[in-house]
Amino acid sequence: MEEKILEFGRLLRKGGLSISFSQIADALRATAEVGFQFKDFYQALACTMICEKADKPLFDKMFRLFFLTLPVSQHDRKNGDGQLVNTENAGYFIELARSAEGIGQGRGGGASPALLLVKAVRDGNYSLLNQLAQLAFKSLGNSKREDLANLEQLIVQAKVSIGWYEAVNRLERIREKEKVNEITYSRWLECLNYLEDRIKELLEEYFVITFGQDALEEIASAANIREKEFYQLNNIEIDEIRKRITKLARKLASKYARRYRRAKHGEIDMRRTVRNALKTGGTPVCLRYRKKKLSKPEIVLLCDVSGSVAVFSEFMLQLVYTIQNRFRSVRSFLFVDRIEEVTNYFHNKDIEAALQEAFSKAHFSYSGFSDYGKVFTIFATKYLSSISPKSTLIILGDARNNWRSDEKDFLKQISEHVRKVLWFNPQPQSTWDSEDSIMKVYAPYCRQVFECRNLAQLEEVIEAIL
Amino acid sequence: MFGSVEELQKKLAACDYITDRHVVTIVYLALKLQKPLLVEGPAGVGKTELAKVLAQATNSRLIRLQCYEGLDEAKALYEWNYQKQLLRLHVAQTQSKDWEEAKQDIFTPEFLLRRPLLEALSSEEPVVLLIDEVDKSDEEFESFLLEILSDYQVTIPELGTVRSNHIPVVVLTSNSSREFGDALKRRCIHLYLDYPTFERELDIIHLKVPGIKDCLAQQIVSFVQVLRKQRLKKAPSIAETIDWARSIMTLGSKVVDEEIVQGTLNILLKYQSDIDKIYNKVSSLLPKM
Ligand SMILES: Nc1ncnc2c1ncn2[C@@H]1O[C@H](COP(=O)(O)OP(=O)(O)OP(=O)(O)O)[C@@H](O)[C@H]1O
Ligand SMILES: [Mg+2]
Repeated sequence: MEEKILEFGRLLRKGGLSISFSQIADALRATAEVGFQFKDFYQALACTMICEKADKPLFDKMFRLFFLTLPVSQHDRKNGDGQLVNTENAGYFIELARSAEGIGQGRGGGASPALLLVKAVRDGNYSLLNQLAQLAFKSLGNSKREDLANLEQLIVQAKVSIGWYEAVNRLERIREKEKVNEITYSRWLECLNYLEDRIKELLEEYFVITFGQDALEEIASAANIREKEFYQLNNIEIDEIRKRITKLARKLASKYARRYRRAKHGEIDMRRTVRNALKTGGTPVCLRYRKKKLSKPEIVLLCDVSGSVAVFSEFMLQLVYTIQNRFRSVRSFLFVDRIEEVTNYFHNKDIEAALQEAFSKAHFSYSGFSDYGKVFTIFATKYLSSISPKSTLIILGDARNNWRSDEKDFLKQISEHVRKVLWFNPQPQSTWDSEDSIMKVYAPYCRQVFECRNLAQLEEVIEAIL
Repeated sequence: MFGSVEELQKKLAACDYITDRHVVTIVYLALKLQKPLLVEGPAGVGKTELAKVLAQATNSRLIRLQCYEGLDEAKALYEWNYQKQLLRLHVAQTQSKDWEEAKQDIFTPEFLLRRPLLEALSSEEPVVLLIDEVDKSDEEFESFLLEILSDYQVTIPELGTVRSNHIPVVVLTSNSSREFGDALKRRCIHLYLDYPTFERELDIIHLKVPGIKDCLAQQIVSFVQVLRKQRLKKAPSIAETIDWARSIMTLGSKVVDEEIVQGTLNILLKYQSDIDKIYNKVSSLLPKM
């Protein structure tokens, strides 16, 4: 069992949790205290290995797949200890799982799955939802190992097979017609979420059972949200990242607030202290300090908000405005093939609301395709004179110029005007100079160009501007 | 100390603390592994109470260190009593003692102001050390705390090292208003206390509001539970459920209806904006009769 726990720790790390050796050691001791009775065993691992509430869903998923599903796999029959895996325990999580036979033909009779789904949601009938999840899962037949990489797509297919979208449509109409109240409606949404999660769980279980350890590791890496490419995020993940950015901002804010407070006065100024002490008969009653200067950068953000870069720009804006006290001033601009300043939207406003307003109201797009050359031209002629020469100018974008003219001289002019130019590129460095990406044309005018594809990298580069 | 999780659960229940088995399991593990227990969760779910009850259940003295911004070693660990030392020096001067002698006099336990941490480390009897609302303290304090929680000893330059006889049971609580450093987090056993389930909360109400009719208690608890699912600035805590139940008892009402709720909403909700939000939709939130 010790070995299993070590391996489990490794898996969690792969999934993005940072688990130290001492935590593993504690986990070992804790399980030894409570034994392997299933629920206690779970608590023993959870309370030693989960440091943050946000990590719990991932932990639970990995726990379920590693301790309950994997041992069932024909692939990895080597683990004969089976202490945890008896049918009763498996039932704790997998509930009704394997009772799948004969669903469609069951009590539902000839009703279409969509109607069944509507009924299940309205009745809050979770066992029916469970059966529908099974049905959806079965409709996919036997998936191949490679399909795991496209799990999201499989889920959509599975949902289609039980008439998910039709059902959602019907529910919306019912909601309107019958004036369904908020509580009931939120219960419906819970049901739908449950069903979707269940389908995903079944699929993941299938892959782990059929393909063993190897598939499990892939699931772990895929779940690592800090390493996930920004442009691949789905809506739930975007929300998750927003939360993590808020947390990151809080962490940065308290870190720098502290440094600032500590620096409120600088070192003791001996000369002035001694001179002052003469007034009080030589006893230095009042200490004199040197004034400490703490530099607060002025920053200007130029954010490409076309296509796949938009998400990244939004994250960055959220982060910067959450810690805007860290800066002397923040000015922000959005662009695609036009550029407009959006600083004012962020005055005294909820950041989320400001972002929405800025994205919907500002005029930054004419054709919908990025044109960096045009944007630098406009910026240099229209805005540059109002930009403080002490500013750090940060460009967020993929440098994909749609084969338009690069107008690099304008970027040169900009870089000579400000203190420094930094460029954050959300695409993999390996693609920077392929196709229409012209990063290398612009790079000479930037103090530094950073690759910033995921949260982990964002956490690093943000330090560069503080 | 405790042979089993069940035994601890019984002890806690005997002290009027009702909670789920998994919570007890985690507390039990913290005791057995002799590690600090970091209790996180929303306001009023019984974090502080847990530490108090734990002291009672283990026959230990409760020593509480309340954290706040700016809390430092002098207030948490020890401080020399300067005034008293000055006075003594003054007396020593009139007796014309030299400095070496005087120093022997003034850096003695007599002049030491013991703060909660030192108190806990030097206690002869078993203690539960409650470090309440750690998230309110500064990061510097946090690293200092980490040091103490690593070796359970401190060195006072003038007096030597104080080492605790038995590792104290340490409970840290937090409302997560600030992120902790990873080092502190890793040192602890984690307990996330959430709002209680319907059944648990019902048990608590019966316990804390004796004489309440089960049917009324059920209505009260189910309304509070629904309220917690709304988007509020501050959801009602267990303490507020208890207060609310008491008020409704006092008003002599037999049922929870719209009028009663609207009249007493300010007991459950502390922000005016929350009250405004809920006031007009009370009837849709009430359980169907
Ligand atoms: N499990 C429980 N059993 C019995 N009473 C409880 C329980 N949990 C909480 N209470 C009651 O709720 C009150 C509030 O709890 P407590 O002060 O411990 O909350 P807290 O989590 O420390 O809140 P805060 O974050 O505001 O400090 C307690 O005085 C107690 O009466
Ligand atoms: Mg408290």
